[in-house]
Amino acid sequence: MTKSNTKRILKSEYPDFGVDSRYSSDEQKRKDGKQLLKSRLEKLESLPNNQIVKAKLLQLKFRIEEYLKEPVIQEQNAFSHFLSNYVDTLYDRRNKFAKDLNITPVVLSQILNNHRKPKEEFLLKLVLHSQIAYANVSQFSHKTWFEVYYHQKISDTLASESKWLPKIKKEVSIKNSELAVIHAD
Amino acid sequence: MFLIKVADDSRLLSRITVATEDDFELLTENRYFFDWKAEQEYEIYKLTIQDRNDILGLVSFQRMPEEYRIHIRLLTVSRENRGREKNYQNIAANLLTYVAKEAVKDFAGLACVSLKPKSEIVQHYISKYGMNVTGTTLSIEIKEILELIQRYDKV
Repeated sequence: MTKSNTKRILKSEYPDFGVDSRYSSDEQKRKDGKQLLKSRLEKLESLPNNQIVKAKLLQLKFRIEEYLKEPVIQEQNAFSHFLSNYVDTLYDRRNKFAKDLNITPVVLSQILNNHRKPKEEFLLKLVLHSQIAYANVSQFSHKTWFEVYYHQKISDTLASESKWLPKIKKEVSIKNSELAVIHAD
Repeated sequence: MFLIKVADDSRLLSRITVATEDDFELLTENRYFFDWKAEQEYEIYKLTIQDRNDILGLVSFQRMPEEYRIHIRLLTVSRENRGREKNYQNIAANLLTYVAKEAVKDFAGLACVSLKPKSEIVQHYISKYGMNVTGTTLSIEIKEILELIQRYDKV
């Protein structure tokens, strides 16, 4: 099909099936981009703060979703990284978040700095807090924080296999199981 | 996100993934209106129904981080999904929402998705997606993007 045929089809049909939005030249792209940026910057000055917060919460959600799709052994300390991002989006001071979760600022700081593993109670509080925070923004699964935490745990475990495997290997066998004979063969 | 099957109004989960090398053999201009092979230097995503392979729609776009925006180059639904006789609704909306989500992931509150459609379909994009007009460019910024995501990004 030639370009002119494509255009004819586009014109003669309903609009909701396609759009050819390519720039005809780099010059046009540059010119349009400049004009658009100017107009956007004017609007950004009056952008309400709650929309900025919502956008940041969404950005965090999408980045977490992307992280969870990745194979393990990726970013280290992902849990604390995403948690810091979450807290800093919603609070100007981290101790205010600690207060809202009824935990001490010290415990929060240790979790954020990877000096303490989060207990299940902390995770449950975080899940509930996120459900409230995301209520008017987007769906946010109650499984998300647990998934991030365990995804990282699996990553950390596999990444450090050379450290723990030699010791553990000495302690594990199946010689007392029903499979011992088959295994011996 | 989901599509609506026109025949019985049922909802079907959609899936949007990168178009692969193998896909290009199937992407004929007869069914998908454009020469998609020529777009390969840009990001191209395909829409299918979850757990099925048939491609129902496509979008190609260019990230422009220096301007905090993503520009859609081509967007289409497959031939049998155009007009009043379409099989599924929301294909174009799902693709647009996907691009909007990518823009938010990259640029948060500064996110912008732009289009430069031909004049005959401008009004459609303005009324359906609340697009802003700047010169000959249509765009959605964070306000419209949040609305779009809230409307279509559901399971």
